[in-house]
Amino acid sequence: MAERTVTDQDLRLVRRVEEFLFREAEVLDAARFGAWLDLLTDDIDYRIPTRVTRERTALDLRFSQASFHMVEDRGSLAARVDRFDTEYAWSENPPSRTRRFVSNVRLDSFEGPLEVRSNLLFFWAREERQVLLSAERHDLIRIEDDALRLARRVVFLDHTTLPIPNLAVFL
Amino acid sequence: MAADLDRGLVPLRVYNDPDVYRAEMTRIFGRTWVFVAHESELPTPGDYVARTIGEDPFIVARDEDGVIRVLFDSCRHRGTQICAADKGNTSHFRCPYHGWTYNNAGALVGIPNRKQAYPGLDPAEWGLLPAPQVECYRGLIFACLDPDTPPLLDHLGDYRWYLDIHLGLAPAGMEVIGDPHRWLIDADWKSGAENFAGDSYHTQSLHRSIPEIGLTSKAVAGSAGGSNDVHVTECSGHSTSIRRLDPDQSPFWAYPPEVQALFRDNGLTPEQLDLARRSVVHTGTVFPNLSLIHLGGTDDPAKPPAAYLSLRQWQPRGPGRMEAWSWVLVPKGSPEEYKRRALKVAVATFSPSGNFEQDDSVVWGRVTRPAGGVFAAKAGILLNYQMGLPDMSLTRELDGWPGPGVVYDSNLEEGVQRTFFRHWIRMMSRG
Repeated sequence: MAERTVTDQDLRLVRRVEEFLFREAEVLDAARFGAWLDLLTDDIDYRIPTRVTRERTALDLRFSQASFHMVEDRGSLAARVDRFDTEYAWSENPPSRTRRFVSNVRLDSFEGPLEVRSNLLFFWAREERQVLLSAERHDLIRIEDDALRLARRVVFLDHTTLPIPNLAVFL
Repeated sequence: MAADLDRGLVPLRVYNDPDVYRAEMTRIFGRTWVFVAHESELPTPGDYVARTIGEDPFIVARDEDGVIRVLFDSCRHRGTQICAADKGNTSHFRCPYHGWTYNNAGALVGIPNRKQAYPGLDPAEWGLLPAPQVECYRGLIFACLDPDTPPLLDHLGDYRWYLDIHLGLAPAGMEVIGDPHRWLIDADWKSGAENFAGDSYHTQSLHRSIPEIGLTSKAVAGSAGGSNDVHVTECSGHSTSIRRLDPDQSPFWAYPPEVQALFRDNGLTPEQLDLARRSVVHTGTVFPNLSLIHLGGTDDPAKPPAAYLSLRQWQPRGPGRMEAWSWVLVPKGSPEEYKRRALKVAVATFSPSGNFEQDDSVVWGRVTRPAGGVFAAKAGILLNYQMGLPDMSLTRELDGWPGPGVVYDSNLEEGVQRTFFRHWIRMMSRG
């Protein structure tokens, strides 16, 4: 991969994006879902494609183009958040304990909407169960009113069968 | 146990017991018809998917002649599984261990060093072993590990009247969108099977959040006991729960006009069509572990509901442990835009992230610990499946219902689940 000459301005942008992603993780780990929705653009496109094991010759087909564990827009994400705020969202009552470890942040564009890839290690515990989910996230981040906002996220899980009894979380 | 079930009582420990589980594998999954795939997952010759019957691995493949094959995924030489991918397209399966190679009809067609090493071997005797019986019904592929089990049509029996409604609305049938959801739940496979057999009573408690935030109407997921709700029990050993709207309403679950336009020339009876017309949700279980939900719902209260059919299979993975699989289907010929919409709604309602289903896995998982302990067995704890028994509810048998089964005029009854357990006991009692 060709290495780009990194300017000080680039570094400041990388740091700014990292800070955004770290703060986003903090907000989600704290279950402040309303605050999380504020970090998304109105036209947010959020999806987690299903994955299957394929032969090496068909690896480009390992993520489905048609089926998803989540495929969300602002309205459906807000509905999920509204549900957690009811008294009857048993999947998160009591809430799961989560910790998001965001690393390997890479900017693939430095101008216009920012194309950002990051790795996510997600720890989840509820009652006596503990699960790790691992994924690469491909984000599109826009600057709106001088603030970074998430416009698109595709979560590429490293799992085929999910090792978790439900996906009542945002990755 | 049969006498207890007649009184509506089921032992708690059946949900997490190694001996019960082992018996289920041989007496149920080793004997009855088990769903393995939908034909639309294998549209072209060479397509294959890796599936399980109980815990046994099988390859479901469409061979070069278009015939569906269900082949035991185990090389005849040393037993190694030869199919490492979940799906794909291939003319041959080659075992990596010593290179024995089989075509996608299961025939042994390649043996390295055969002339020197196996001059006397007859390849015809050493093909991949097929499941003893394979049959399809309206796109559903079933296999059976017992050659003496009566045909699939006997197994489905009268329940076909209801399956035909779900699978036959469009003359071309239904088609699967993408790949199935798969996720692990620390709950017994029977928890999913008996719930979808028709647990209409749980929605008002467990799923109360759903109508509260407007993802479905109360008619879909509100309190049980509405005058348009019926339970179909003892329908050839299978059952279903049906919620409808008043006769003057035609939701067709929530299929939009452009999809309803496909529902013609389908050979369904006027009675079947009338039931489909008024329906908003059906759940059902085809014994042992194939369930369905046909539902109209939404992902966003600001958007109109959309309908889809989810087939789901509760794959046993040990006592008190299952892998849930869910396929999303729409009528074949649906516009691409509708398919995307239906998939999105299905994900938001019944999937690992589904706003309904998130909560189901929680309560099923919380059966496992009490069921597997000392006290459940020592005290002989029996669970209450009594609703709908004489003097246990106001539910009565329905007169004039056009379909088969023993049908009740309300969904405040648990004959649907007793049907599942009667079938279960019948099979578990046969030595």
